[in-house]
Amino acid sequence: MSAVDVLTSLQNSFLGQAIGQSNHLVGATAQVFHILGFIFLLAAVIFINLRLLGLVLPNVPLREVSKQPIQFLWGGFFFASVSGLLMFISVPTLYYANPAFISKLVLYGLAIVFQLALYQRVLKTEHPSKVLVWVSVALSFFLWFGVGLTGRAIGYV
Amino acid sequence: MSTLLELAQGLQHSGFGTALAESRYAFPLIEGTHLIGLSISVGLIFLIDLRLVGLFLRQVPAHTLLRSLLPIVLWGFALIFITGVLLFISEADTIIVSPAFPVKLVLLFLGGLNALYFEFKLSREPAFQSNTAAILPDKVRYSGFASLALWTLVIIAGRMLAYL
Repeated sequence: MSAVDVLTSLQNSFLGQAIGQSNHLVGATAQVFHILGFIFLLAAVIFINLRLLGLVLPNVPLREVSKQPIQFLWGGFFFASVSGLLMFISVPTLYYANPAFISKLVLYGLAIVFQLALYQRVLKTEHPSKVLVWVSVALSFFLWFGVGLTGRAIGYV
Repeated sequence: MSTLLELAQGLQHSGFGTALAESRYAFPLIEGTHLIGLSISVGLIFLIDLRLVGLFLRQVPAHTLLRSLLPIVLWGFALIFITGVLLFISEADTIIVSPAFPVKLVLLFLGGLNALYFEFKLSREPAFQSNTAAILPDKVRYSGFASLALWTLVIIAGRMLAYL
């Protein structure tokens, strides 16, 4: 069974049909959760990076100042991912060959790996080295902004 | 309304508007930059609002958090304003007839009004400036709730531009 077959049966599944045939405002609602969740995620990333660079609250310990934003980050991630999955299920055959969507998925995967493997470890170090700070800030902006930019381009390529 | 529509059509069909709308890379890139600008401005405002209502970084004085984030919020606003105008120019004649557009403008106005009231009145009062308490006075908290609600609605109205 090819990827297209799998995706077609996903699209024809009960959930896929239910979302696809529902009022287009259901899709719009999923989009609203997708965008609000993602804005929360990005806001947390921006805030943590500003602290890593010493531009915001330099006198508050890193671990203390990043604890809640990390929760916001994963909260936003959850809402954006679930709503994104629902949007995908309704028309997977439209998405899977879209170059912007493929780039977005790759960046999304890399961002999760980076988040767990490096970023959250750096935040537990009280005084990370300058190099580590710059690498973390640059990679997190590149990956998460990249997810946003490629995601926004899905409708236009 | 018809002159507004004509003006919008004129804008969109100007060389610049057409070039933007038809460009393979420019349009999606401006859309993406608008989203990133939103997360810088509105996203950081959400964090400030959460502190105002007492749900975020309660151990840090609200005034300290506000002063350190505000310049960055303003840069984010510059970014969404510029990209927003460009997006309007390239899609002017569909945006101007969408009922979501006047709603978004009204909400933007109210959000801006609340922000100005907070910045020039509430945040300059001693009850805020020298307040290191976790929980702030009621009027500050209400302004934080209003800001959370209004900017959320601005984003929703903005997203609805593509649907209504």
